Amino acid sequence: MKSMSKKIIVSVLFLLMFISCGDDNSSGDKITYWSSNNSYEIQFADFITKKWNIQSDINVRFQPVPEGQSSEEVILAAVVGETTPDVYSNMWQGDVEVYAQAGVLVPLDTLDGFMEFLRERCDSSVIEEITSLDGHVYQIPWKINPIMLYYNQNIIDTLNIEGVPGTYSQYTDAARRFKKDKDGDGYVDQWFGYAEVKVTWWQRFFDFYPLYLAASGGGSLVKDRKAAFNNEAAVNVFRFLRNLYANNYFAKERLSARQDVFLSGVIATRFTGPWEIARAEQFKPEGFKYNFSQIPVPDNHTGPVYTYGDPKNIVIFKSCKYPEKAWQFLRMMIDEENDLKLLEFSNQLPRRKNISENPLYSDYFAKNPLMKKFAQQSEYVKGTDASPVLKEVFDLISQQYEACVVYGTKTPEQAINDAAEAVNLLFIE
Amino acid sequence: MKLKQKIVPYLLISPYILHFSLFVAFPVVFSIVLTFHKWNIIAPMEYTGFSNYVRLFKDAVFLKSLGNTLIFLVIHIPLQIIVALVLAQILNQNIKFRGFFRAAFFLPVIVSGVVVTILWEQLYGFDTGLLNRMLVSVGMNKVGWLTDPNVAMSSIALMATWKNVGLYIILFLVGLQTVPTQYYEAADMEGANRWQKFFKITLPMINPTIFMVVILSTIGGFSLFIEPYVMTGGGPLNSTISAVLYIYKQGFFYYHMGYSATLGLFFALIILLVVVIQKRFVERDV
Repeated sequence: MKSMSKKIIVSVLFLLMFISCGDDNSSGDKITYWSSNNSYEIQFADFITKKWNIQSDINVRFQPVPEGQSSEEVILAAVVGETTPDVYSNMWQGDVEVYAQAGVLVPLDTLDGFMEFLRERCDSSVIEEITSLDGHVYQIPWKINPIMLYYNQNIIDTLNIEGVPGTYSQYTDAARRFKKDKDGDGYVDQWFGYAEVKVTWWQRFFDFYPLYLAASGGGSLVKDRKAAFNNEAAVNVFRFLRNLYANNYFAKERLSARQDVFLSGVIATRFTGPWEIARAEQFKPEGFKYNFSQIPVPDNHTGPVYTYGDPKNIVIFKSCKYPEKAWQFLRMMIDEENDLKLLEFSNQLPRRKNISENPLYSDYFAKNPLMKKFAQQSEYVKGTDASPVLKEVFDLISQQYEACVVYGTKTPEQAINDAAEAVNLLFIE
Repeated sequence: MKLKQKIVPYLLISPYILHFSLFVAFPVVFSIVLTFHKWNIIAPMEYTGFSNYVRLFKDAVFLKSLGNTLIFLVIHIPLQIIVALVLAQILNQNIKFRGFFRAAFFLPVIVSGVVVTILWEQLYGFDTGLLNRMLVSVGMNKVGWLTDPNVAMSSIALMATWKNVGLYIILFLVGLQTVPTQYYEAADMEGANRWQKFFKITLPMINPTIFMVVILSTIGGFSLFIEPYVMTGGGPLNSTISAVLYIYKQGFFYYHMGYSATLGLFFALIILLVVVIQKRFVERDV
């Protein structure tokens, strides 16, 4: 009996020793790569790492970013705990500056052939946008999901308007025609649009920010350590949205907890990205027609219509033992052919110039005509400004957005001015 | 032998000392140190003197969050005590299905706060919520339970009362059952009515329970977090942002760890002060 117990104890200890000697992120001649944890990108990451590992002396081992409240939190925890992967491919552009200033990212412009590759892939405005405040480039622009006007074609066809509303007055006019109290209880229950009314900072990616970029021709929120949005474009956006809420053309109530309000016809439009296509195709009712168009602009707007691109970029952490090799892997991962694979696997656009005219992608866009609209829009997208306090900037704008746009307690001029003053205080040490 | 006698007590209390040092003393000392620093977790700490304390008194949102917490307490504590005491009185009688009702009232206490909050968010919905449908069906106007800045905190207090009242019913039931029946019998002989018995016998006799309930619901009220975090995010117009939610946002949203620690320390001192005051006055006067 005693010898049996001893055997069990020895076996358990041996097992524990075996487990504790297992692979970790930093051991062995491997590059660890964390991808996004959505199933499409996991498939892509699996495909690309297998392709690389066939021909390379240093293997890449991929895993989806561990589960957490958000991938941003997981990455922060990894940085603090010094358990970062070598390569991470789902980095929100607005977070890069914080990590760059903390010194945990590899300055990619110091790697052999990086800048040549970047100039070939992106135009100068993108390079300028992703260059950090210290003049280095710490991120590879990889993929974007431009925010556009998602509209119910069936509804637009019934409003007796000329085409899809593209300006503030056209949009407001269409909204007036559509607003309805269907059940006759004295309360509007059919709105032209909907945006989350919560003050959460990133909700402004789906209302204020794309509209601001459209109105300002891709303007900045912060520049030279001060607010750069105290201008007519921002005031006009607040005024436009405020008018929509004041007239009940947009719902003040949270509609996200019920059946999809767009597919059920409760609302006619939303400002959103290409991920809606897969959802609509899966859940749309019979006969439901939808499409995408550019973000509405002020009536006197001229020039191209910009929008927010929601870029997710790739970084190499300084914990990487083989940054040159990691760069070689990434160079292969985001070449033209593999960008096509990304498109096919995930329906997310690679951030590369002239993608809608590139013959390599023409078959894909022929099969996915709605994605072609996003590809055409991708020539006029902007990410975020390089700033370590970007979340605070969006939050301060959000506070004023709620006060002015949703509740009408401030004028647009006053709200934008207050937001700009609060942002300027962030930069005073 | 003597040495063993000296060492053994220390060995026996060492697990607690270790636990206390790691999980209480160290965090408290570290957070006090943090209040004099700027730290975003990633970069090294930067000494900033008393700037976090100066900022605290100029921070309009923090002051508003303190006001909101106070509003919550003013609504929540009396409501909680009155509802719990009334229900406990009823459940202390020989009524039918008493066991069932006791269990039913306690059920929300053991349900996850997030689940309760999501459920009430549906009830409070402006257009589709059950409460507004009921109001409209009797010819009344809809209420912006969570969208009207003047109403939102009261809505949260109502929900929190529903969620927690079961616990206080149990506490009051225990208190009521400790009141000797002879007092009531003597009062009956003296011709006291129901109210006189309640105010002259029951209330004074359950004084310690009332004090405990006041303390518990005050501390619970001060730690208001899940409800505004899930339901409103602190809005509309910061009308439901509680002090704890604001401290959390500063710490784990913006990673202003130094400032968040300063707010936390200041808030802990407020709670301490309130509890001391309650202990002096409530315990004596109730």
